[in-house]
Amino acid sequence: MMADLELLRHLCSLRGVSGREEEVFDAIRKEVSPYADKVETDALGNLIVCQKGRKRAPVRLMLSAHMDEVGLIVTTVTEDGLLKFSCVGGIDRRVLPGKCVLVEGKIPGVIGVKPIHLLEKEELGKAVPPDDLTIDIGARDRGEALKHVSPGDVAAFDSGFDCSRGVVTGRALDDRAGCAILIDLLKREPEYDRTVVFCVQEEVGLRGSATAAYSVNPQAAVVVEATTAADVADVEERKQVCRVGGGPVVSFMDRRTIYDKEYYRLAFRTAQENGIPCQAKQAVAGGNDAGSIHASRSGVRTAAVSLACRYLHSAAGLISEEDFHNTEKLVEILADRIAGGEPRP
Amino acid sequence: MEELKKLLFRLCSAPGTSGAEESAAETAVRELEKYGTTRAEGAMGNVVCTMGNPDARRRILLDAHLDQIGLVVTGVDERGFVRVAPCGGVDRRVLPGSPMTVCGRETLRGIVSCMPPHLLEGGEDKVVPVEKMAVDLGLPRDRVMELVSPGDRVLWQVQPRALLGSRVTAAGLDDRAGVCVLIRCAELLSREKLNCRLSILLSSREEVGGQGAVTGAFAQEPDEALVVDVSFGTQPGVAEQKSGRLSGGPMIGVAPSLNHAITQELARLARKREIPFQYEVMGGKTGTNADSIGISRAGVRCALASVPLRNMHTPAEVVDLTDLENTARLLAGYVKEAR
Repeated sequence: MMADLELLRHLCSLRGVSGREEEVFDAIRKEVSPYADKVETDALGNLIVCQKGRKRAPVRLMLSAHMDEVGLIVTTVTEDGLLKFSCVGGIDRRVLPGKCVLVEGKIPGVIGVKPIHLLEKEELGKAVPPDDLTIDIGARDRGEALKHVSPGDVAAFDSGFDCSRGVVTGRALDDRAGCAILIDLLKREPEYDRTVVFCVQEEVGLRGSATAAYSVNPQAAVVVEATTAADVADVEERKQVCRVGGGPVVSFMDRRTIYDKEYYRLAFRTAQENGIPCQAKQAVAGGNDAGSIHASRSGVRTAAVSLACRYLHSAAGLISEEDFHNTEKLVEILADRIAGGEPRP
Repeated sequence: MEELKKLLFRLCSAPGTSGAEESAAETAVRELEKYGTTRAEGAMGNVVCTMGNPDARRRILLDAHLDQIGLVVTGVDERGFVRVAPCGGVDRRVLPGSPMTVCGRETLRGIVSCMPPHLLEGGEDKVVPVEKMAVDLGLPRDRVMELVSPGDRVLWQVQPRALLGSRVTAAGLDDRAGVCVLIRCAELLSREKLNCRLSILLSSREEVGGQGAVTGAFAQEPDEALVVDVSFGTQPGVAEQKSGRLSGGPMIGVAPSLNHAITQELARLARKREIPFQYEVMGGKTGTNADSIGISRAGVRCALASVPLRNMHTPAEVVDLTDLENTARLLAGYVKEAR
């Protein structure tokens, strides 16, 4: 039995800009509570789920995915009733102009740009400077806007979800896909006891995972993420990092973490023994919650298993349904092997 | 206003890029045939609705263009990415990372391929020409080849949405807003006895040269024409003297290429009927179908009324429904008073 895409669709429909993950938190808590032995939260709003397995785990394992997503935060409202904003998390400025957003999950808006007809010569072919962008919610002036929106309100991309023909496209796949996988794992009794955490504030500096790792105090961790697949148009093979459809992506190193070598090998061995396609993340780029987890307390042996995702941090990402299922399979088996004490010396 | 909004949303939900207006035309025909003899006609794919007295001395043409900008498929590359060219004046700055609808053998969802920032080496401020972009369907090449052919059209995948108050956003409001105005105008006139022959022309291909208006005006042979298009709404980066305020009413065009008497008559009518309006003054041609209709056959006296619109030629176009309603009332008033 595999995580169904309807759960993923639901999770992707929720808003959870970093620092404002409540909606996602509530949905996941509701989903996992029947299967958990203990559900806790902490000062930052992480969701910590303890689950007993058939056996006591020789190695205390923590599985993690993050609930938050990149988005925008309203800074000021102009006299004309337009909203100025800053980015929350790393958003490529090229993907902002012309997009639909939802402010505070309820007020529709669009990110406007000066019409192409009126551009100066030097503006042609250039990305719109982020400072020139505003969100238009249809307010006639500042007064009307302020009746609906306040500085500090967050806005998230508002784009649909599609999973036809084995291709999943949608907003916030980073990292609701990881959340969906871990929720589904929780619905099956594991071999060994484990703790699953759904973290806040990954996109603004791996903050939720830092406190979660502290309180859970694991010996080992597996981070389930969505990672940049650069196998897009016009990128030569050696620069593609990983490939959509190539199976789960296992990291040896990124900009925040050097991963546990033995776990890295164990992941590939596990994939091979179980007939799961698997690929290495072939670039030292990006970073994820492993960055704070592996250096928590006196150190945690950590692995990252990711979904190859194109167009991360934009209005809609793209993953493969097959990768999604294969990632779940690999994480499930790998988790039990690590918790069971593998690899043995 | 609710009915007008629903009508506009229906119009914006039907795809109709230049030269492929069929679906938009069908939707418009369904709305217009309640009010007059309506047909999709001509080699160009125009829609024409005639009302009033066919033998009347005055022959008035109302025009709005039916088409919208988009992309056209040029081919599928060796890795299965769909290659495209602009179909009309697409703003490439709003393309990267956009969800798109590819109208292939089936309706498909794609995303405009966009290189991850880490590969740009400082090129984050550049946007490549549309011909160098690609639409990603996430499918293997052979599957893409089955589903997509050169000439297929690609549109932004956005749902029309209500914003605060009477403002709305959708892709293709340029010029479905104008189409909506003319349908509403037809509705306002449907209970009136007209002393003119009225042709409502929804013309094709405006965004690629205006061929629909050229042939449509020739066929209808009017002696005067009122064109409804959208024009620049005031927004950041757009000078006040080059734009009209949203909610400020129709922008009545004033230009050497337009007929001054009709223009003045529109302003007089607006004042008389207490319809808010604003002027849009241009120094030569107007950049709308009025330019070509005005020199159709032996010449047509032309006026222009525009709906102020923000973010033109992006999927985030915004208009105020009150401006549409007021433009429709103004045009209906003009036609009604024609003797």
